[in-house]
Amino acid sequence: MSDKKHIDRLFQEGFKDFEAAPNDAVWATIEAKLNEKKKKRRIIPIWWRYAGVAALLVVLVTIGSLFFNDTEKNTTNQVVDTENKIPEYNRTRENNRPIINTVDTPVIVSNKANENGTNTNTDTLTKEAVIRTNSTNPSNNIVVSKSTSSKSNNLKASNKTNTFNINNSTNIANTVSKEKRKTSSLQNSLKNTKQVASTPEETNTDNKLNTETPVVSKEKAKTRIEEAAKKETAIANSNSNSTSNEEKKDSQTAVLKLENNKRSIEDALEDTEEIAGNKETPNNKWRVAPNAAPVYFNTLNEGSSIDPQFNSNSKSGEINMSYGISASYAVTKKLSVRSGINRVNLGYNTNDVVVFQSVGLSSKTSALQNVNARGNSSDADGVSLISSENLNANASDSFAASNGSINQALGYIEIPLEIQYTLSDRKFGVNLIGGFSSFFLNSNEIFSEEQNGTRTYLGEASNINNISYSANLGMGLNYKVTKTFDLNLEPIFKYQFNTFNNTSGNFSPFFIGVYTGFSIKF
Amino acid sequence: MFKLSLNQLIENCKNEDTKAQGELYKLYSGKLFAICLKYSRNYAEAQDNLQDAFLTIFKKIEQYKHKGSFEGWIKRITVNTVLQRYRNEKVFDIINENTIEDEEVEVDEDELSIDYLLKIIQELPDRYRLIFNLYVLDGYSHKDIAKMLEINIGTSKSNLARARQILKQTIENHRITQRSHSF
Repeated sequence: MSDKKHIDRLFQEGFKDFEAAPNDAVWATIEAKLNEKKKKRRIIPIWWRYAGVAALLVVLVTIGSLFFNDTEKNTTNQVVDTENKIPEYNRTRENNRPIINTVDTPVIVSNKANENGTNTNTDTLTKEAVIRTNSTNPSNNIVVSKSTSSKSNNLKASNKTNTFNINNSTNIANTVSKEKRKTSSLQNSLKNTKQVASTPEETNTDNKLNTETPVVSKEKAKTRIEEAAKKETAIANSNSNSTSNEEKKDSQTAVLKLENNKRSIEDALEDTEEIAGNKETPNNKWRVAPNAAPVYFNTLNEGSSIDPQFNSNSKSGEINMSYGISASYAVTKKLSVRSGINRVNLGYNTNDVVVFQSVGLSSKTSALQNVNARGNSSDADGVSLISSENLNANASDSFAASNGSINQALGYIEIPLEIQYTLSDRKFGVNLIGGFSSFFLNSNEIFSEEQNGTRTYLGEASNINNISYSANLGMGLNYKVTKTFDLNLEPIFKYQFNTFNNTSGNFSPFFIGVYTGFSIKF
Repeated sequence: MFKLSLNQLIENCKNEDTKAQGELYKLYSGKLFAICLKYSRNYAEAQDNLQDAFLTIFKKIEQYKHKGSFEGWIKRITVNTVLQRYRNEKVFDIINENTIEDEEVEVDEDELSIDYLLKIIQELPDRYRLIFNLYVLDGYSHKDIAKMLEINIGTSKSNLARARQILKQTIENHRITQRSHSF
C-alpha cells in the first residue's frame, strides 16, 4: 500500500498488450463503404473517358471551326484581291483558283472555235456570193472588197473598204449605205446590247467572261450581224432572190451551229468544273482521325482461356472502351491505307462458377490451369473456384448456393494496318474497311466475382501472348461537315489470332468495336 | 509463414481484394481499436475513429513500400486519423495556458482495472488526453507532439504535467471513495 509508483509507469503497465475487439458493425460499415468506393471507381473511369473524348471533340471542333472561319475570310479577301496576289494565298485559294483558270481557257478556245466556225461559214458564203455575183455582177472589184470585209470580221473595216469602193462606183456606195442601215436595224432586232453590237471586236479581245450566256449571246450577235451584213451585201450585189434565200438558209445553219457551240461551251464548263473538283481530292490525301469506341469482347465457340473445367460454362462479354488516333493516306481516289495507335481494354466473364474458401482443399485441386497467382500463392486468402457443373456432380447442394463468375480483363496497345475502299463519296460516304491489327499486351488480370459483389484478385493469366494479331473487317460511314472535316462511324469486327497459347476447347476470341470520331483532311 | 502471407495480404489489399481487406481487419482491428479507445472520448467515438482509420489504411496501402514495420505504419495512420478529427473540432485552443512545473507524480501501487484506467483517460480534457497518450503510452517526444498538435513544446510539457496531476487526483479520490465504501 505504501509502495509509491510513478503514474506514467502505472498506465504504461496497465496498457501493455491492451487490445479490444470492436463491434462487428464496424467492419460491416467499412466493407459497405469500400464496396461503394469500388463501384464508384468502376463507374467514374468510364464516365471520365467519355468526358475526355467529348472534351477532346469540343476542343478540336473549336479549333476546326476557327480554322475554317479563317479560310472563309481569306476567300472573301480573294474576291477583292487582284490576280497577282493569288499565289500568296495558294493554299486557301485552291478551291477557287482552278475554276477561274479553267473557265478562262475554254472560253478562249471556244471563242476561237466559234470564230473559225463563223469564218469558214462566211468563207463559204462569200465564195458562194463571189460565184454568184461573178455570174450576175460585172464588177469584180466589189466582190473582192466584200470577201475581205466578211473575212476580217470587222464591220468598220468592211465599211471602210466599202467606202473606198465608193470612189470607184456610186452604185456600190448606195449598197454600202443600205448595208449600214440594214445592219443597224438588225442590231436593234437582236436582243443584245448596243455595246456588243457596235464594238464586236471586244468579244474577241477581252475574254474576261465569267458566265457562259454573255459569251454565247455576244458571239451570236456578232456572227448574226456578220451574216446579216454579208447577206445584205450579197443581196445588194446580186439582186437575185434565189441567192438571198440560199443565204438565209446558210445563216440559219450558222445559227444552229452556234447553238451547238453553245452546248459545247456548257459541256466544256462542266468538264472544267469536274476537273476542278477532281483536283481537290489529291490535295487532301492525308487524314487524321481520333476515335473512341465501345468494344464488346467474347468467344465464337465453346472453350475457356482459363481452365478446361469451364469449357462449357456460359461466357458473357464485357463492354469496354477503346480509344486512339489513326492516320490515313489516299493512294487513289477510292483506296486509302491507314494505320494508327489504339488503347483497348477487353474483358469477359465465365459464369456459373462457385467461389469458396479453400480451407480444407489442397492447393492442387483449387489451382486453375492458366492462372499464375501473383507473388507466392493466390490461395493465401483461401479462395477456390470450381465450375458449378463439376460441383453438382460430386458435391453436396449446400455449395451451389454461391454462384459467382471469373472475370478476365486484358489491356492492349493496338496498331492497326487497314485498307479503306470508298463505295460512295457523297455528302454521306460509305467505305469498306479491311486489314489486320497487332496487339501488344499491357495489362492482364483475373478476378473472381461473387454474387454479392465481392471481388477477389486471383492473379494473371499465364497463357496470354505478349504480341497477338487480329483480322479486321468493317464498314465506315462518314458524314462530310465541310470539305476537310468528316464525322465517322465505323463498326469493325476483329477476329483475334494467337491471343492465347494454351486454351482449352475451341476458344476463339473476337471483339466488335463501334469506332466513332471525326477526321480532318489535309 | 505468417510474414510471407502478411506481405501477400498487403499486395492483395493493394488490388482492392475484399477478402484480403477483411483478413487485414481481423488481424489488426484489436490493436488499432485499443489505440482508438485511448485517444477518443468514449466507445462510440472510438468506433468511428477505427472505421475512419481502416478506410484511410485501405486507401493509402498502395503507398506502403514494405519499408519499416507494417504495424507501426498502420498505428501511425490510426493516431493521425484521431488527431485529425480533434484538430478539425478545434479542441486544442480551448484550454487555458498556465504553465506548471514538471514534478514527480507518484501514486500508490494498487490494483486498478484497465477499464478504470481507460475510463479516466477518456475523461481527461481532449488535449491533455492526447498528449498523455502520445507521450506516456506511445513514446512520442514533446517535439513530435508539438508538431503533430501544432502547439509549442512548452505547452506540450505543461499540458502533460497537468494531465498527470488530474489523473493522480482522480485515482486518489477514487481510492478514498472505495475505502469509505469498504468501511
